[in-house]
Amino acid sequence: MATGKPVVEGLFAETSAGPRLLGSRCASCGAAYFPKGAVCHNPDCTESKMQDAEFGPKGKLWSLAIQTYPPPPPAKYDEPYKPYAMGVIDLDDGLRVLGRLSGNDLKVQPGVAVELVLEPLYHEKDGTAVITWKFKPV
Amino acid sequence: MRDVAVIGLGMHPWGKFSDLSVTDLCRVAVDAALKDAGVSWREIQAVSAASSRFSGGKGWGLNGNDVVEEMGSTGIPVYNLSAGCAAGGNAFNVGYSLVAGGFHDVVLVVGGEKMPKGFIQTSGIEDAADPEFLRQRCVGMPGPAFWAQLTRRRMKDYGTTEEQLAKVAVKAHEIGKHNKNARFRDEFSLEKVMGSNLVCYPLRLFEICPVSDGAAAVVLCSADEAKKRTTKPVWVAASAVATASFNDGITRGIGGPVPTGPTIHSEAKAAVHKALRMAGVTQKDIDFIELQDNTVYYELAFPEEWGFCAPGEAEKLLEAGETMPTGKLPINPSGGFICFGEATTAQGLWQVCEMGWQLRGEAGARQVPDAKLGLSQTLGLGGNATAIVLKR
Repeated sequence: MATGKPVVEGLFAETSAGPRLLGSRCASCGAAYFPKGAVCHNPDCTESKMQDAEFGPKGKLWSLAIQTYPPPPPAKYDEPYKPYAMGVIDLDDGLRVLGRLSGNDLKVQPGVAVELVLEPLYHEKDGTAVITWKFKPV
Repeated sequence: MRDVAVIGLGMHPWGKFSDLSVTDLCRVAVDAALKDAGVSWREIQAVSAASSRFSGGKGWGLNGNDVVEEMGSTGIPVYNLSAGCAAGGNAFNVGYSLVAGGFHDVVLVVGGEKMPKGFIQTSGIEDAADPEFLRQRCVGMPGPAFWAQLTRRRMKDYGTTEEQLAKVAVKAHEIGKHNKNARFRDEFSLEKVMGSNLVCYPLRLFEICPVSDGAAAVVLCSADEAKKRTTKPVWVAASAVATASFNDGITRGIGGPVPTGPTIHSEAKAAVHKALRMAGVTQKDIDFIELQDNTVYYELAFPEEWGFCAPGEAEKLLEAGETMPTGKLPINPSGGFICFGEATTAQGLWQVCEMGWQLRGEAGARQVPDAKLGLSQTLGLGGNATAIVLKR
């Protein structure tokens, strides 16, 4: 992981196996949740058995959008503003998650394989990098 | 259950009105609806109102109480309904239920809204437990990006082009220019729409509805009351409310299970199908649809998701002119949200007004020929949706 502080605590970690998202999975029905949840929301689940779970790193980009104009608060970004890509990613381990795409390639197509990375989202005034999860086309 | 008639329709035009309060807008709409119904304020037995998040309501969404105080406090019951952008449809459903269930004979349903500038900020709270905050802070994904990624996926699945997206907006304005209640009444050429700024690729500024101020009101009554008061009542064939199903693939938070089926707004489909069943009709019986086109994407996706045309067919119908009022599948003969802009909690009732005028044959240049059955739909934050079928 790049050095800095997480954008929000408890959502991701650099593990010995690489970057992972920190969520929950129901041991009864297998439903994936991010961030962590207290109970399973699946109405067909027989019994909620939520366990901490790590998700990632591999998945596919389901779709994406290009943020052309600077987003309003509470989003934050470095000046000068540069358009970026973000999308919906279906991870191989069953989590559909939103995420920023890593890099400046705005021609990325839905369907490409992606991999989880932890990278700066923006920098604070003192130069501290604020880290978030992103997905890198592979 | 008793038959319920819609006998009064009233609107304040949609626009931006810095000198008027939401109560002013509602008063105009309510006065018009009462006059249209031939009903005095004293005869209204209950009010069902959409709760506004942005204006009036004493900060508690008590917008129906504002209306009652403005019109004259007669002591009647007031129901304030909150369902995000679906609130107008929910208020209609409660008003309908009060009359259908025999609790009241003459009920007013009203919604009014004055919107702050810019795209809607869904929460505004910096709270790590709020998925809206996490989506915007951690991913940088504001509202239009949510619509843009759905649209981009459609482009992959069906080959939808940027030009076809623009044509939806061109078609909306082709109709909306005839609607005196619409905010945008100019012609929008394909060049003008394609030349508008990209907000969030693939969506352009003129392909996303802006926020507006507006108000709409309708008077509902029992069949006995309708017979006394009008020779051309419009009847409520169905009023349905639904919420989203688990795992429909729509990313309302920042993460959940990969869906096992197609990614669709399950709440909208459920409300529409429930309404069709209640009305005892099928898709082919519906003469026109007023659907919630926050962006051009929905005018293409919704009719397919609800079974009004085959998947991937919507662009062909659009380009053949079949979604115009004179086509096989008229969609948004009002001009839709693209021409009105979004006055979030009022819009479910403007749709009812439009359906009423269409079914009475009073829609002028926007008229769907010989319209007998109309369908309307709303979609709101929280996985809320409503659908209404009106018939003449």
